[in-house]
Amino acid sequence: MIQNLRMEVKKLLKDKKVDIVLGWEKGSLPLSSTPLFIHEEEDVDRLIFDETCRNNLTTYLTKDKRKLGKTYDKIGIIVKGCDARSIVLYSIEQQIKKENVVIIGVPCNGVLEKKKILRKTENKEILESKIDGKNVHLKGRDFDMIIPLNEVLCDSCLTCRYPDAPVHDIFIGKPRKEVDIKDEYKNVIDFEKKSSEERWEYIKEEYSKCLRCYACRNVCPACYCNECFVDQNDPQWIGKTPEVTDTIIFHLIRNLHVAGRCVDCGACVSACPVDLDLRIMNKKVEKEVKERFDYTAGLDINEKPAMASYCENEKQDFIMG
Amino acid sequence: MIKIKKSDFNTFINNLQKNYSVFAPVTDSKATAFKKIKSVGDINNNILNTKRSPKEIFFPQSEVLFQYTEKGMEVPKWEEKPFAIWGMRNCDTKSLLLLDKVFGEAHQIPKKDMYKDPYWKEKYDNCLVFNIACNEPLSTCFCNWFDGGPFDKTGSDIFVVETDDSYIFEAVSDKGKKFLNDCKITENASDKEIKKIEKLKETAESYLAIKEDISSLFSKTKEIWDEPIWDEIAAKCINCGACAFVCPTCHCFDVSDEGKDKKGKRIRLWDSCMFAIFTKEASGHNPRSQSTQRVRQRVMHKYNYFMDNYDEHLCTGCGRCVVVCPVNLDIREVIKKIISY
Repeated sequence: MIQNLRMEVKKLLKDKKVDIVLGWEKGSLPLSSTPLFIHEEEDVDRLIFDETCRNNLTTYLTKDKRKLGKTYDKIGIIVKGCDARSIVLYSIEQQIKKENVVIIGVPCNGVLEKKKILRKTENKEILESKIDGKNVHLKGRDFDMIIPLNEVLCDSCLTCRYPDAPVHDIFIGKPRKEVDIKDEYKNVIDFEKKSSEERWEYIKEEYSKCLRCYACRNVCPACYCNECFVDQNDPQWIGKTPEVTDTIIFHLIRNLHVAGRCVDCGACVSACPVDLDLRIMNKKVEKEVKERFDYTAGLDINEKPAMASYCENEKQDFIMG
Repeated sequence: MIKIKKSDFNTFINNLQKNYSVFAPVTDSKATAFKKIKSVGDINNNILNTKRSPKEIFFPQSEVLFQYTEKGMEVPKWEEKPFAIWGMRNCDTKSLLLLDKVFGEAHQIPKKDMYKDPYWKEKYDNCLVFNIACNEPLSTCFCNWFDGGPFDKTGSDIFVVETDDSYIFEAVSDKGKKFLNDCKITENASDKEIKKIEKLKETAESYLAIKEDISSLFSKTKEIWDEPIWDEIAAKCINCGACAFVCPTCHCFDVSDEGKDKKGKRIRLWDSCMFAIFTKEASGHNPRSQSTQRVRQRVMHKYNYFMDNYDEHLCTGCGRCVVVCPVNLDIREVIKKIISY
């Protein structure tokens, strides 16, 4: 697959169909990859695609973040299913012109969540690693371990319905067959069953971990505001401390701001340096949008955004009467 | 050199707690960090590098500088004095020396009368630092690039080596000497154990990656300030503050006033040069509006400006930023790239 992908990328560059291609290369740490920006054909051989390619590269496409050295007329980008859905979002929200982006889909088997792996090794450092189709082989100073892949994939991947780019210009490799996911919202449903005191305790405990480094916001493809409300200080919208009363406002507002837009790529979860459970609330909001508007973000380039369209027969039970 | 048996560790910490508030590496819901312990059971001696650096004891993420009501103003007092920190590593003890150049007075060259930060000083001056040698450094450690090492003692009061069954203590500073004289430990480390330390040191150093010669880093950063290499370095940075917030030496801060009616407070908060708002001026102009400019600032501050001011690099090679960076922008590779440019 990777050889075909490299050939295709070389061809795109050679034929001047694109000025740059966004992909991944091997990272500096075991089980890591890092974004690769390919300008020249000779760099193509560094390109990889495997279970370590967790970054959602579409975040580099939006205008605020497009700092790949300079701006480009035509960008090629290699995408997993969730990444492609982010591009759909950009197109719907008029952040990019679809014709300026060449979407190269690749079949995704899910990506690894390093935090889960470290829980398995009890935080012992991994020095060597190898991935085969089913397992991750790990070596540390005093341990050897084989872990089944599905135990250490991102939560988002375990409930992913769209591993193959629903929208693409080119697809390399064999698409995965339809994925049957039955309990996508299991965590949310379990959470909903708790008492409001329990839910509040959980949320408070989680959001009190926040460092306010904004890694979640900055890796998020849906977060591309030119100026985030937390950065506005005239007037200042929220307090700047790491106290939970302040951090919770940031997180909950971000939750609502990505309502009907979050594609559950898991970038925020992977980026968080303090392992905050950022997904539960995003998934809750996603479920609400699904139930109320029968809307799934990032599937149809011609659809209107859930939060910017109105339909008379929508559920209106939130209106007190 | 004196020692305690590991089986006496609990007694040692209990005794220490009689005269000191004790901070140590703990694992709590906020990830591994240095926290004030209630009892010895809180200590996790297996953590090599805590996720959050111990700078937050001296320079908290959010610190009230003063608070006021209509009756007057008061400056909150640091209530933990004196205090001891058990279990710091060389990269962290060295970072205290670097921060002290900015906030304290001990090493202020060239200007003797520079401002001394009272909030920093009252903590730093009342602290007893136990530095534990790293028997098994991580693959992300690069302290050796900055002349530190797993068995380096710089910046500590008492240097501790963990052997199979004991902790061996060596006084480094006068404060440390006084503590070891006054405490009632009488057992001396045997010659065999002292030899063992050498062995542990050799093994630990063998785990580290090859030392990079960074002698040209300072001059090189100056030469390339205007070069396009910065675009290449910064391209994948997403401008979050994860690196700065886990860094033991990053020390930029913001000041925020919070007040309502007749009471309020002024707070000092960590800030990061990675954020766009960091240099935004009241006029709306932002001299570092571009990501590249901000990444360059962070690298330059660490490996050039600080060197200019204080003759040292503002980095101890702890590797925390290498571990947390969401896009694997590895500072070691940035340094290598700059040197070979």
